[in-house]
Amino acid sequence: MASRLWASRAASYLRISAFNRGFASVVKDFKYADSHEWVKVEGNSAVVGITDHAQDHLGDVVYVELPEVGAAVTQGGSFGAVESVKATSDINSPVSGKVVEVNEELSNSPGLVNASPYETGWIIKVEMSDNGELKSLMDSDQYSKFCEEEDASH
Amino acid sequence: MRISRSLEVWKMGTVNYLEALKLQDKLVSDRKTRKISDTLLSLQHPPTYTLGKRRTDHNLLVPETDLRKIGAELHYTQRGGDITFHGPHQAILYPIISLRDIGLGARNYVEKLELTMIELASLYGVKARAGQTGETGVWVGERKIGAIGVRISSGITSHGLALNIDPDLSYFKHIVPCGIADKEVTSLGKETEVALPAEEVIHEQLISCFARVFGFSDIIWKDDASILFDNQSIE
Repeated sequence: MASRLWASRAASYLRISAFNRGFASVVKDFKYADSHEWVKVEGNSAVVGITDHAQDHLGDVVYVELPEVGAAVTQGGSFGAVESVKATSDINSPVSGKVVEVNEELSNSPGLVNASPYETGWIIKVEMSDNGELKSLMDSDQYSKFCEEEDASH
Repeated sequence: MRISRSLEVWKMGTVNYLEALKLQDKLVSDRKTRKISDTLLSLQHPPTYTLGKRRTDHNLLVPETDLRKIGAELHYTQRGGDITFHGPHQAILYPIISLRDIGLGARNYVEKLELTMIELASLYGVKARAGQTGETGVWVGERKIGAIGVRISSGITSHGLALNIDPDLSYFKHIVPCGIADKEVTSLGKETEVALPAEEVIHEQLISCFARVFGFSDIIWKDDASILFDNQSIE
């Protein structure tokens, strides 16, 4: 009991909310796409990665295909892929814009996507062309609920 | 309450690799827009070597020109996984299904594909198992009997599994299969003590195993696959 209290205090300090039953986490201030990518908005730019739920369902990531810096991305369009357990899964951009930075670390350490999906496992930084697109994304509570429903659907 | 789910199965015989790829691309696109429902292609390829997205061609042990001399093609693909061989007497399933509709992630999907092949093998008294970490696929002891390489795009699958029924295993000598150097490749024919029936029977059994593992309650059989190639402009 005491450890759960500690865990939820730590979680709220770190502004991470943990599921009651699973362990897939979300970060409160990020926005989320229904294809399980997250966006951290910093002014006009957006950092993009895949969520804890996504990395858990993928398995160990062995390879990340990154786009070129300068490439255009569109909301809902694919910008790269991750390979895990013999499956390559396309990753889609939650926002439109131009890729200004990619996480080169992932070429040497693709496992960062699993170990730290919201921090060192970030994938691209996008200069957004239309902030309004953020409205169509989910917040952390909506996304958590979405994941629960998706997992229950079979 | 279980909702009844149906699977459309196309039995296609021997299909050239690139033709099958173009067909899958079209089916994936149709599945994304829900023009079609979950579909499964059951087929074989003529001798073909394929590489995955990581282009691990260091695992091809002979020059490409040698492959052509033995009548085999080489193709680079977007699927996951390393280098492999496809050929006659190897049963291939390419499921084009929506993982989101059934709440599966990549890892669970691959595990179920492994289970499909394990169940088929058990029909012939062969005790197969899933590979350990990093050795995805289906194994009998230390010998690999089935391979998996999958692509997932917006939650829709393509490529799939390949189970060795009785292929000419010497084709595998020209590669490091799946990038795993010290393990042999095997087949149902080599591992079972039972006489194998006609391959068509084994293909149908494999399809049934797939349907059962993935919870499809109805199978709609489509034999005339040529209509998939007509009335489309495949560029």
